[in-house]
Amino acid sequence: MLISREGGHMKALKIENNQGHFVTEAGDYETVDKIDKAVLLRLVNMALEDGFEIDAFDEEKLKNQAHQIIYKSIGEKLTDLHQRRNQFRDESDRLYLEAYEKYKG
Amino acid sequence: MKKIDLHMHTVPTISDAYFSFSLEKLIEYVKSAELDAIAITNHDIFDLQQFNEIVEKLECAVFPGIEINLEKCHVLIISENENLDDFQLKTQAVSEKIKAIGDSITVEELINIFGDLNNYLVIPHYEKRPAISGDTLESIWDFISAGEVDSPKKFIRMAKDETEITPVIFSDVRISEEMRKFPTRQTFIDCGDISLRSLKFSLRDRNKVALSKSEGNSLFQVFDDGQNLSTGLNIVLGARSSGKTVTLNQINKDCENVKYIPQFALVQRDDSNYEKEFNADVARKKSVFSDKHLAPFKAVLDDVLNVDLGINKRKVEDYLATLLKLADEAEKLDAFSKVTLFNESQFEIGVDKVLNDLISSVRQLIENIEYREIIDKHVDIKSLKAMACELIELLWSKAYERKKKGLVNDIAKDVKSKLQLRTSATQVKDVDLYKVLIEHKKASRFNEIAQLLQNEKVIFEESVQGFKVICKQRAFEGASEIKNVSGQRVAFSDAYREYSNPFFYLAALKGNESLTPSEFYKYFACIEYEILNRDGFKVSGGERSEFRLLQEIKDAQNYDYLLIDEPESSFDNLFLKGEVNQILKEISRTMPVVIVTHNSSVGASINADYIVYTSKEIDGKNIVYRRYAGHPSDRELRSIDGKTINNFQVTLNSLEAGEDAYFERRGTYESIKN
Repeated sequence: MLISREGGHMKALKIENNQGHFVTEAGDYETVDKIDKAVLLRLVNMALEDGFEIDAFDEEKLKNQAHQIIYKSIGEKLTDLHQRRNQFRDESDRLYLEAYEKYKG
Repeated sequence: MKKIDLHMHTVPTISDAYFSFSLEKLIEYVKSAELDAIAITNHDIFDLQQFNEIVEKLECAVFPGIEINLEKCHVLIISENENLDDFQLKTQAVSEKIKAIGDSITVEELINIFGDLNNYLVIPHYEKRPAISGDTLESIWDFISAGEVDSPKKFIRMAKDETEITPVIFSDVRISEEMRKFPTRQTFIDCGDISLRSLKFSLRDRNKVALSKSEGNSLFQVFDDGQNLSTGLNIVLGARSSGKTVTLNQINKDCENVKYIPQFALVQRDDSNYEKEFNADVARKKSVFSDKHLAPFKAVLDDVLNVDLGINKRKVEDYLATLLKLADEAEKLDAFSKVTLFNESQFEIGVDKVLNDLISSVRQLIENIEYREIIDKHVDIKSLKAMACELIELLWSKAYERKKKGLVNDIAKDVKSKLQLRTSATQVKDVDLYKVLIEHKKASRFNEIAQLLQNEKVIFEESVQGFKVICKQRAFEGASEIKNVSGQRVAFSDAYREYSNPFFYLAALKGNESLTPSEFYKYFACIEYEILNRDGFKVSGGERSEFRLLQEIKDAQNYDYLLIDEPESSFDNLFLKGEVNQILKEISRTMPVVIVTHNSSVGASINADYIVYTSKEIDGKNIVYRRYAGHPSDRELRSIDGKTINNFQVTLNSLEAGEDAYFERRGTYESIKN
């Protein structure tokens, strides 16, 4: 999880100046139309952690129509994942556990 | 010590094969076996007239008796030799009740007929078929003086066991005209005069009965000429053609339930055939073991089989590409594509496996019977039930939500497809990111598990007398090994290139249509089932025979005697001196073992309990075969007819080719050593 200069969690997605932004690896922000596969994967991993945060989608604040489309779709997906992160952890921890333990031992 | 045989037949009945009784043979038997007392015990009958004739002719004590079919087992009832008319009346009552094969009387009937059983010697078949059942034994327990057995092995086992009744061993012989040999199963008993009362008194003390006259239970009579053997370990020595194997054959014939390992029995005459047989047996065990070991992996593989990371990757790419493209077209969106539903994503509605598992775990806690006490100690069943209810309700509501979302998804999909027809705008290709992620996890967990399976590791190990049965898992060393396992004519070389990444390897296997997916689980790790020698190497042809010899000897535990003819003819000295001697010694603690040998590794190193030296001698014009026997520490070995022979001399002659040769060899070894 990226920590901002002020010490708080950095938002994965934020809306600023009517534009949608995503957080980069370096802790800066880029506009959402630059999102590629690698970025999406990074955002997905962030969504599975606690402390994940994004600005809620707001048509008023986000005037750029293209950004609206991207922000809304990816934002929803990441939020959904974040809400299901405990389910995901439980499910992956228990994945094939029996077999794993048998062969590990 | 008095020698008694209280179980013999003189009248053929429905329970016997026909024979014609010979009083002369009985007289001869009593004389040659030097019996002090006998009992006449025919099946469910007492013939007073014949009994009187027998008593008249015999010099030893003769007791009247009967062998009764009691609740499907056989019991001897022996009376004092008095009030014979009364005994005949009682036995007649038995005869009247038992007329056909399979008839028997009950304990109650027995007591009704004979009254107080304390007036008789009551001896059931104990470790002898048909043996007395637990219930019957219990109901006549107070009257039983001893239990009959049919071998020295069983006699000794019972004699040593303080919780057992006193054992007796009798001939159970049919005294017939055709008898060529006399039985050797009799019991020695330490009692004063020979009366029923005195016998009964002595039988109360297990230390008062023995298999031999003066050597307690360490010797028993094996042949009717009076030849004894140790109830422990015997070795039979002697020159070629002096009667060693004949001796073993005779024991095999005269005794029952004998394990006989003849000379060369275990040498592989047809090596390739034998190896095939041996390997087939190993393969069968391996396949059972391998399937058991791989079963959990198979379950994982069956699930992962449906995971296609390539498709998932493409789906994510398509999603992103279409999303970005649509965004790019944002300015040009028409009325149709501007509809919110046009780019609405689907609700994700995976089944909640975790919740399902949790519910079944709680249910197990509630329903388990075996560990009920522990569960109850820690958790209140009421709370468990409440928890189960809450979880199930949650599951229902989630299922309900899922159903609703599924409905919404259907509607959205329908609307979207209709809008799609009317607009040129790009439609975002949706992706279920949760599913993609879980499947990714599945693949990586599968890789971990498969790699664990490929770690070389012993998964099962069992020691069998110095040999080791070992089951190992390891990675396959090449495509050809996998091909062998598959038993198919398919080349695995392409797939094998991906072998180090099990998930990719699985994809490659899937790509080969001539392979059956249900067999894939066998192609990931090699399961080896091997029999190794003491050095940890695979057994050689010779060692396979060693393994079998040890198995055969081990199997002897199910028999009453073990005979081995010249084990040295098939095996090397170190093996014989080590494992074989050890296991033979061990087994001889519970049963008579007889080994024919002229090998010093066996003969001299095994510390036998008894030596039998066979000798072919010329007596005037006749050839006489003699057996000299004695303890290893005896100066002289003695034959039945009273001749003696120097123990040291014959042992050295048999095992070391004579004293001179022995010292010469010693000299040679000393010089090599120096």
